[in-house]
Amino acid sequence: MIETAFAQVRFALSVGLGIPFSLRSLDRLIEGVAETRREFGTVGDGAAALNGPPPDWETQRDLQLRRFRSQAVRAARETAYYGPIFAAGGLDPARLTWDDIARLPRTTKEAIRDQPGDFVRRGAQPVFRTTTTGTTGRPTHLLFSAYEMGLYIALASLNHLMTGAITNADIVQISSSSRATLGNTCFAGACARVGALVYLGGLVDPAHSLALLAEEHQIPGKKRRASVLLTYASYLGELIETGLAAGYGPTDFGLERISIGGETVTSGLKRRAAALFGQVIWDEGFGQTETWPATGTLCPAGHLHFEATQALLEVVDPETGAPTPPGTLGTLVLTALPPFRETMPILRCDSGDLVQTLTTPPTCALAHLPAVSNLLGKARLSVRHTSGWTTPRAVFEALEALDVVPLPARCGFWAHEDGVAVEVVTRDTGAVTQAQVAAALEAAAIPLRALTLHRDRTTLTQPFPLRGDLRETMFSR
Amino acid sequence: MTEAGLVVLGSALATVGASWAYFRRYRVTRPPIGVFNERDLAVMIGGIIAVPYLYLALPVWLVGALLGLSSMSVLALVAEPILRERAARWAFTGGLLAADLGAAWALGTTQPLYLAINDGLIGLLVVGITNLWAQSGMQARAVAFLGAVLTVYDLTATTLLPLMGQMMGRPAGLPLGPQLAWASGSGGLVLIGLGDLLMAAVFPLVMRRAYGAVAGRLAVAVAAATLVSLFLLPISTLFPVMVILGPLMVVQYFYWSHRGGPERTTGQYWQAEAASPAAPATTQRGTQGVTNL
Repeated sequence: MIETAFAQVRFALSVGLGIPFSLRSLDRLIEGVAETRREFGTVGDGAAALNGPPPDWETQRDLQLRRFRSQAVRAARETAYYGPIFAAGGLDPARLTWDDIARLPRTTKEAIRDQPGDFVRRGAQPVFRTTTTGTTGRPTHLLFSAYEMGLYIALASLNHLMTGAITNADIVQISSSSRATLGNTCFAGACARVGALVYLGGLVDPAHSLALLAEEHQIPGKKRRASVLLTYASYLGELIETGLAAGYGPTDFGLERISIGGETVTSGLKRRAAALFGQVIWDEGFGQTETWPATGTLCPAGHLHFEATQALLEVVDPETGAPTPPGTLGTLVLTALPPFRETMPILRCDSGDLVQTLTTPPTCALAHLPAVSNLLGKARLSVRHTSGWTTPRAVFEALEALDVVPLPARCGFWAHEDGVAVEVVTRDTGAVTQAQVAAALEAAAIPLRALTLHRDRTTLTQPFPLRGDLRETMFSR
Repeated sequence: MTEAGLVVLGSALATVGASWAYFRRYRVTRPPIGVFNERDLAVMIGGIIAVPYLYLALPVWLVGALLGLSSMSVLALVAEPILRERAARWAFTGGLLAADLGAAWALGTTQPLYLAINDGLIGLLVVGITNLWAQSGMQARAVAFLGAVLTVYDLTATTLLPLMGQMMGRPAGLPLGPQLAWASGSGGLVLIGLGDLLMAAVFPLVMRRAYGAVAGRLAVAVAAATLVSLFLLPISTLFPVMVILGPLMVVQYFYWSHRGGPERTTGQYWQAEAASPAAPATTQRGTQGVTNL
C-alpha cells in the first residue's frame, strides 16, 4: 500500500509536470491495482484516484500549450525535419502561441513515410521499428524506444485493470495484420501483463479464425472459449458472413468483448454480429501509428474523446488548414505530447480522417476530455460536392444496414455529376435490391447519381480498400 | 482487582467489542488502490521499532503535534461513515481533540475527567486503525506474523531494555497519551498501551474476514480472556502483553489455516456476509504499547 501510494505520486508527477514516467513505478502501480482487484473484486474509484480531479478547460489548454512547446523545442533542436521549418517560419518553439501553432505547417504522412529518420531525435535510442499496414497508402515506418514501448504496454495494462475490460480469466484472440506490430505488441503485452491468455490468430481464412474462436479450452483459471477479439471491422464482417453461412450461432462462442478499430464500424455490422456471437461489449476508438499513443475513446454518446495530457487535438479544413467552426467537417490533426512520445516527435500530424466538430459541449461521462464526432472516414476517400461531403461512414452505414449486402460491404464510390456514383456487391442484382440499396443511400442524404450492383467483388471498378484483405495464407486448416 | 483495573479492563474490552461491531457495520474509506501487503508489514515493523526512539528523541511539542495530527485523521476516518455531514465530522473530531487538550491543560493528565476523555478518544483510535488495516486487506497471516514478531520485541523492549518504561513515561505526561489509563488509589496509573489494544482488536477482524464468524468470535473470546487474566494477575510493573497475546494469535492462525485452507479475500467476505454498508480512506500507523499494572 505504501509503495503503491508512492507510485501514484510518481505517476501524478509525470502526468502533471510532463517528466518521463518511471517504468518501475508503473510496474508497482499495476501490481497494486491487480492486488486491489484480487482482494476486493473491484477497483472502485481507483481510476479517479489515479487521474485526480479533471482539470477545467483553461487549465487543460494551458498544460497543452506548455507541452506542445516542449515537444516543439525538442523537435526543432534535435530532428532534421523540424529545425528548418521553425527557422523558415521565424518561430521560436519555446514561445509558441496558439496562433503560431495554427500557422505551423501540418506534418503529412507522406513526409514521415519518405524520410522517417529525419523525425528521430538525436541521441534517441530507438529499439522498435513498426510499419503502418498501408491500406491507405505505402507503409510508413515509425521508431520507438524501449521506454516508450514499456510505457504504452504499462498504460494499456493499467487501463485494462482499472476498467476490468480484460482480466486474467480472459482468452484473447488478435485477428489483425501481423504487420500491425505496434498495436499488436502493445495490446498483447498489456493482456499478458494482466494475466490474460493471448494469441495472434492473424488475418487468416475466416473459417480458421472462427474455429479458433469456437475452440474449447480446458485451462485452469481461464474461460472455456476465447472471450475477447481484437480485429478490424471488415474482417469481422468476413467472420460474420462465413460463420452464419457455416451454421454457427451464439452458443458456439464465448465472446464477451470485441475490440475493433482501424476502419468504420457501422450499426449494421454490430447488429449482424449479434446474430453470430450474441450480445457483446464493443470497444471502439481511434489510434494511428504516427501519433501513438494519442488514442481516442468512443463514449456511449458517440463522441471521440482524447486525453488532454496525451495529445493536442485540432480539427482543420482539409483544404485551407484553418480551424473548423463547430458543427463542420474537418480532418483530425494530432500531436502526441511528452512524456508520452519521445523518440519521434511529430507536430500537427494530419491523420486525413474526417470528423465533425461538436456543436455543443458534451455532457457525457467523458465531458471533461476534448472531443469530436466519431470518425467519418478518410478525407481522400470521401467525395465533396456542392451539398457537402459524402463520407465512407455515410456510405458504409447505409449499405451494411442492408442484409442484401454481404459483409463487409464491398463497394466503391466517387464523384459523379455533382453527386456520387456507387457500386456495391449484393446478394442479387435484381430491381428490388437495386431500389432497396438506392433508397438506403438516399435516406442517408447521399446525392446518388448512379448505382451499380455486382455479384462478384472482382468486377468492382474502384473497390474501397479494406484491412480484412491483408490476408495471410496457410498451408493447411 | 482494583477499581482502576476494572475501569481499564472494561474500557479495553469495550474497545475490542466496538472494533468488531464497527467492522461488521461500517466501511472506512480505504486507499482506492493498494492492499496491505508484506512490504507494508515490513515498514510497520520498522516503524514499531523506530517510534519509541523517535518519541524519546523528538521535542515534546513535536511529539504532541504528531499525536494530534494522527489522532485527528483517524477520528475523521472513524466518523466518516457515521456522520455524513462534513461539518458534523469535523465538529466531532475537533471537539473531542479540544476536550482532550483542554482537560489535560486545565486539570492535568492524571485527573479522572481527562482520563475518561482520553480513554474514549484512544478507544475510537483503535476502532479506526484496526478497521483501516482489516478493511485494507491486511491478511490474518500478516497479523499472526506481526504478533510473533511483537512477542519477541515486547519481551525485549519491556523487560530487557528500559526503552518502554522511558517511552511510556514521556507521552504519559502529554495529552493524547497513547494508552487506556485510570488513576489508582496509590496515585499511579493502571494502563494498557495502544499497541496491545490494536493487536487484541485487529486479530478478530481479520480472522472473521479470513475464516468466518466462528474464527472471529473465538479470536474475540481469546483476546478478552487474555485481557481479563492479565488484569487478574497481581502485576505491579510493566508487563509485555504480547508475550501472551502473540503466541495465542499464532496458534489460532495455524489452527484455522490448517482447517479452513486459504484465507478469504475481502471481496469473498463481502459476498459471503452480504454485509456491504456504503462508505469511502486514509492510512494511519499504529503504536506499540505495554501494560502497566
